[in-house]
Amino acid sequence: MKNLQHTYEALRTILREAYFGKEHVEVGEQWQVNAMRRIRALGPIPSGSNFFLFFEQFVWRLTPATCILIFIFAALLFKLDFTPEYEVFTSLICDTEELSLAQLFEF
Amino acid sequence: MPNHLRNPSDAEIIRRIIDGDVNSFEHLLRKYQDHVLRIVKKHVPFQEVEEMAQEVFVRAYQALPGFKEEGGFGQWLSSIAVRTCYDFWRKRYRSREVPMSDLSENHRDWLEKTWSHQSDTSFYEKSRVKEARETLDWGLERLSAQDRMVLELVYLEGLSVKEAAGLLGWSAAKVKVRSFRSRKKLETLFKRVIPT
Repeated sequence: MKNLQHTYEALRTILREAYFGKEHVEVGEQWQVNAMRRIRALGPIPSGSNFFLFFEQFVWRLTPATCILIFIFAALLFKLDFTPEYEVFTSLICDTEELSLAQLFEF
Repeated sequence: MPNHLRNPSDAEIIRRIIDGDVNSFEHLLRKYQDHVLRIVKKHVPFQEVEEMAQEVFVRAYQALPGFKEEGGFGQWLSSIAVRTCYDFWRKRYRSREVPMSDLSENHRDWLEKTWSHQSDTSFYEKSRVKEARETLDWGLERLSAQDRMVLELVYLEGLSVKEAAGLLGWSAAKVKVRSFRSRKKLETLFKRVIPT
């Protein structure tokens, strides 16, 4: 077990050396010119994007609170008994007999 | 000339850029180009480095109004660089453009020696660097984009879970789980190719 751990550590050391070795690869200079060309082509940063930034930074932060509220309302909805409302609704729909004027004064 | 005019701070340069002076961005590019290149070189193939470095600065420029001075511009740029590299791999894996090279006899031999020489790594000479790098790339090719990035940041670069989570914009728990799984996957891959 200890040997295996040691093997993994030795392998990791070598792989880390190989990984950090990638840093020494030389690249050209042209990419900076191309980057600035692309940025100039984009033009000045539009101020209209502030609204979207505001949306991104603040409105999305409300997401957890919104989810909690949805959960609470869903729980309340399930907890409430909707049978009485259902019965009132069915009686209104199914009992199609019209009330006459005399019936109204019977009580 | 006052010092702050000769060497304006990052905040001052950023304010100028936001006010419409696009050319001021070149100061930031010159100042941080090595920093960005160091990150990009480690995460993407050599032939893609220049393109990715450009992409990092273009994204940074576009996101500049959202920059907050909390961790400094360098830290913020590092995060953009890492996420750009991650997006590169996601796109690559989605379009199945990742070449699945096979390990040659030399690579297998190298891996076997590394495995067997538990305490003695003296055999590891400069000529073996190529094998090590190619074997590492071979292993990374077989992981997902997420596993790859986490493995590089935590296992190889030695960043803490919190630091890696900050760079990738993930939760610490996600990084911790991914880190463990990706390490196991890589070890399994290597174990499979070693002749028994």
